Amino acid sequence: MSVSDNSIQQAILLGNVDSISKSVNQLLHEGVAAQSILDDQLLSGMAIVGERFKRNEMFLPQVLMSAQAMQTAIDLLKPHLLKDSTALKQQTVVIGTVKGDMHDIGKNLVRIMLIGAGFEVIDLGVNVPAQRFLETAAHHRASVVCLSALLSSTMNNMKEVVDCFRGDPDLRQTKILIGGAPVSREFSKAIGADGYAPTATDAVEKVQLLCQ
Amino acid sequence: MSGRMQVISALQRVETARVPIGEIGGGYTDVIIKALLGADYQIGSDAAFQNHLKVRQLLGADIVGARVLGPPVEVIGIHEDWRTDIYSDFWGACYTQPPDATVQLVTPIANTPAELEAWQAPDVSKFDKSLIHRWKTDTDFFVLATLNAGFDLGYELLGFERFMMWTIQARKVMHAYFEKLIQTNLKLALMSVEAGADGILIADDLAFNTGTFVDPDYLRSDYLPLLKGMVSEIKKTGVPVFLHSDGDLRSIIPDLIDCNIDVLQSCDPNANMDIPALKQEYGRDLVFMGNIDVDLLASGTVAAVENTTRNLIRAARHGGGFILSTSNVVASYCKTENVRAMYAVAHKELT
Repeated sequence: MSVSDNSIQQAILLGNVDSISKSVNQLLHEGVAAQSILDDQLLSGMAIVGERFKRNEMFLPQVLMSAQAMQTAIDLLKPHLLKDSTALKQQTVVIGTVKGDMHDIGKNLVRIMLIGAGFEVIDLGVNVPAQRFLETAAHHRASVVCLSALLSSTMNNMKEVVDCFRGDPDLRQTKILIGGAPVSREFSKAIGADGYAPTATDAVEKVQLLCQ
Repeated sequence: MSGRMQVISALQRVETARVPIGEIGGGYTDVIIKALLGADYQIGSDAAFQNHLKVRQLLGADIVGARVLGPPVEVIGIHEDWRTDIYSDFWGACYTQPPDATVQLVTPIANTPAELEAWQAPDVSKFDKSLIHRWKTDTDFFVLATLNAGFDLGYELLGFERFMMWTIQARKVMHAYFEKLIQTNLKLALMSVEAGADGILIADDLAFNTGTFVDPDYLRSDYLPLLKGMVSEIKKTGVPVFLHSDGDLRSIIPDLIDCNIDVLQSCDPNANMDIPALKQEYGRDLVFMGNIDVDLLASGTVAAVENTTRNLIRAARHGGGFILSTSNVVASYCKTENVRAMYAVAHKELT
């Protein structure tokens, strides 16, 4: 086997945890660099998943399975990536549904797609107070904070989070992306966020742009 | 013409002087009812029934939603993080409601496919159907009995991600699970009809704004045949069947027609579900209900609500087959002046 084989990519597309574990371990055993496995097969596999999901050729269950396979592979690669000082450090994204809102389907989908795209994701869950976003972003040195809300009544709590970050001298440069049914590009600008994503795949693309 | 007849006319594709209007399920939250009724808001015994009656009379609604009621939830503990009650419902799942937030699943009915396979649906035969009977005998609203089927309730009881993964990882177990849920809800539907329901609303979210949660082919092979069987049994009693699902359902509308659904409710404009366009394509086979965005009622102006409602009525009323409602229910965060405006336009826009 070599890194040019697409067995890992296939395992990602099929969400096959057993197969991906075997393939990753075999490549590592053969001396292939962990970073190369990540870049050349895993990320490209998840990029295909994202595209297919966008085109309604893959659906939530398949995306969840792919993300699970991706996470399995990343867990196997992590010790090797940490050893390699030249390896690209994973960027961290903090994600959560804002205070007062318990909806998590959209937020979970974005989390899954972000993991699939190779980000380290800290999921704070639902009903998250502004201060918790701030503390977690500081602790993990997050590159991007993603805020979700499904309700018109709770989307205004996004502004509180943005204001907290902008008022903190150490965290005011942290990029903030918002999403959820009632929010819009205009709302994002109005509250001083750095971007708005209407879908999960858009969210990944926006996070990638914000991290550049 | 009574509210009941307004809705029946729409179902029969008869255009009445005004379009029928009303909400599914509870329709209006208590916060909204209180704000709309002001000093007329009642407290004490029988208050819930009286307040729901008065708010519909005030707005001029034609529909009331009601349920066969199970036993009260049982408090089984306190949530560590939120210090709120954890309660168990008759299906066996446990929930809590954190302060200022909506209900959240704490313990699913199963953590493994084997547990789900062993799970038994509750016996609903002794449930209380008197509320449906009361609405039918004391009022002339169209009584729309609300229940579920297998999909939406299925992931509420299991948790969304677990449910979705198991549709692939434990396909046979999930099929059996759908069957159990649908059989139980069918019993509730038949009890509702016996109590006097004019229609059955199956609340079953199958999609989000960009399409169905799962592959339509999976729905066609593993789920919709079961739903079709449920609808067929309900329709033997002579009542129409409404289906509520959020999201973009356009890829499966012909399948829903094949299931003999009479009315498709929600039709959220944010999910590209435009009633005038849908009616043009499928109006012979389906009645459409909904299309007023809840967020418009929450953040729009009265003028915007009036314009949207007026334009929708003018584009969708021709030949019946249309019922005006929000795309969900009137949520607590909606502005009362917008709710009043939406209903007032429906009563002013006459043929």
